[in-house]
Amino acid sequence: MGDLRTEEFVVNMGPVHPSTHGVCRLMLTMNGEQIVDAEPVIGYLHRAIEKICENRTYPQCIPMMDRFEYVTAMSTNELFCLATERLAEVEVPERAEYIRVIMLELNRIASHLIFYGTTAMDCGALTPFLWGLRERELIIDLFEETCGQRLTYNYFRIGGVANDLPIDFVPKCRSALDVIEGKMSDYTGILNNNPIWLARLKGIGTAEADHALAWGVTGPVLRACGVAHDLRKDDPYSIYDRFDFEVPIAQEGDCYARYLVRLEEIRQSIKIVRQALDGLPEGETRTKIKANFKPPAGEIYTRIENSRGEMGIYIQSNGDKKPLRVKLRGGSYNQLQFLPEIVRGKGYLIADLVAIFATFDVILPEVDR
Amino acid sequence: MTKEELTAYVGGHFDGKLKLLDTGRYDPMFEIQPGDLLDVARALRDDSRLQFDYLCSMGGVDTGEHLEVVYSIASSKTKSRLDFKFSLPYDKAEIDSIQEVWPGINWYEREAWELYGINVRNHGNLKRFLLPDDWDQGHPMLKNWDAPDFIRMPER
Repeated sequence: MGDLRTEEFVVNMGPVHPSTHGVCRLMLTMNGEQIVDAEPVIGYLHRAIEKICENRTYPQCIPMMDRFEYVTAMSTNELFCLATERLAEVEVPERAEYIRVIMLELNRIASHLIFYGTTAMDCGALTPFLWGLRERELIIDLFEETCGQRLTYNYFRIGGVANDLPIDFVPKCRSALDVIEGKMSDYTGILNNNPIWLARLKGIGTAEADHALAWGVTGPVLRACGVAHDLRKDDPYSIYDRFDFEVPIAQEGDCYARYLVRLEEIRQSIKIVRQALDGLPEGETRTKIKANFKPPAGEIYTRIENSRGEMGIYIQSNGDKKPLRVKLRGGSYNQLQFLPEIVRGKGYLIADLVAIFATFDVILPEVDR
Repeated sequence: MTKEELTAYVGGHFDGKLKLLDTGRYDPMFEIQPGDLLDVARALRDDSRLQFDYLCSMGGVDTGEHLEVVYSIASSKTKSRLDFKFSLPYDKAEIDSIQEVWPGINWYEREAWELYGINVRNHGNLKRFLLPDDWDQGHPMLKNWDAPDFIRMPER
């Protein structure tokens, strides 16, 4: 038999592909069914948020932050307010700090529930998607009661939060946590022993800790490689040093490990919210800042632990009411840039790439800004 | 290592290549010479007491008088964090790529090239990515850049 002629060809996955959860194009070089190389092409969602922020006053920047990463908009609010408060040395009242932690952790749970649902859906299981969004709805309802919005909250202010919690927030929040905690065994029960799920995730997309770190990968993806790096413990911001919680890690570094780490993080977040609800003090929720708010000249890089890893902001102030420069850094940015590294030359199929992309939990607005 | 110890250690080592600035508000901010970039990055990563093993962020700044490039680095082992930066004149905006030290800087350097027009030597992948492929309107993050048909609101 003569030699069979083979050649590599390029497949465009995206820009509108159901499993990329946004607008991302992956240019895949294929050898038959196997992926030889992948190159992410981004920019479809670029809204020039950094440039717009340079033309707005500091309080006006907060709504822009919601659009930077809208799955955990509370984190982006916290990021900008924290950086500005550190820059201008604004004190935050005790009650506001507790409210912020409650919101941040509830938002983390909501984000991980989306991850749980969409990852399962991308791998062919529809039920977890419905379950995940059903319980997320409880949290979104709490947010809606508190600040009137379901996605872009614009709830935090420089020096506190916009308004106090609604009267019956604490009991409602407790019962929502009880419901979510009760459903956790369902979540793991339907997937953890499912042979299709295990075949799709176990041993796929394995990352090494040093390799991932060199590429700036943080968050659950890094923790699934066995590095207990969590900014809530390592560089505590707000009042995270007062709460008792664990940093879940796994050793394998594959898709399944990332899934397990995120589910355990939901449990830890529930624990933190409960402690914050127990300790919630009475008092002011906002320090008044001047109407013509001008932080002193200086520069700052601030980072917080988002559900997708380290989220950072660099602000340079020249003493004016508008920032001179705002630079945003999202965990997804580094994770998407790391994606070709773990796909290249491993002979994965496109179906494997879908699982890897889903467990990286990349959010495209955070990448494109 | 506390922040004071870190500041003293970094300022006292590395042949004085990192000079402390007073503009850093939460973490220490150092200034370096553009030519020392690769040496400094390598030294900060390999120093056994610092072990800066990943890069948080890197970006250009246009102050209106000159360009600046700011690098934010951190360590997952020693938990320390610091920033360093240097200034560049507009007519000679060129930096070295430090992908060999922290490969994760790849896209950040690409972004600085695309949005600020800072040329990155030895980068190997300077292609448009945030802006449209047929973009020919210059570098939009520069302060003197005006968007076509953009109406600036009067200052209040």
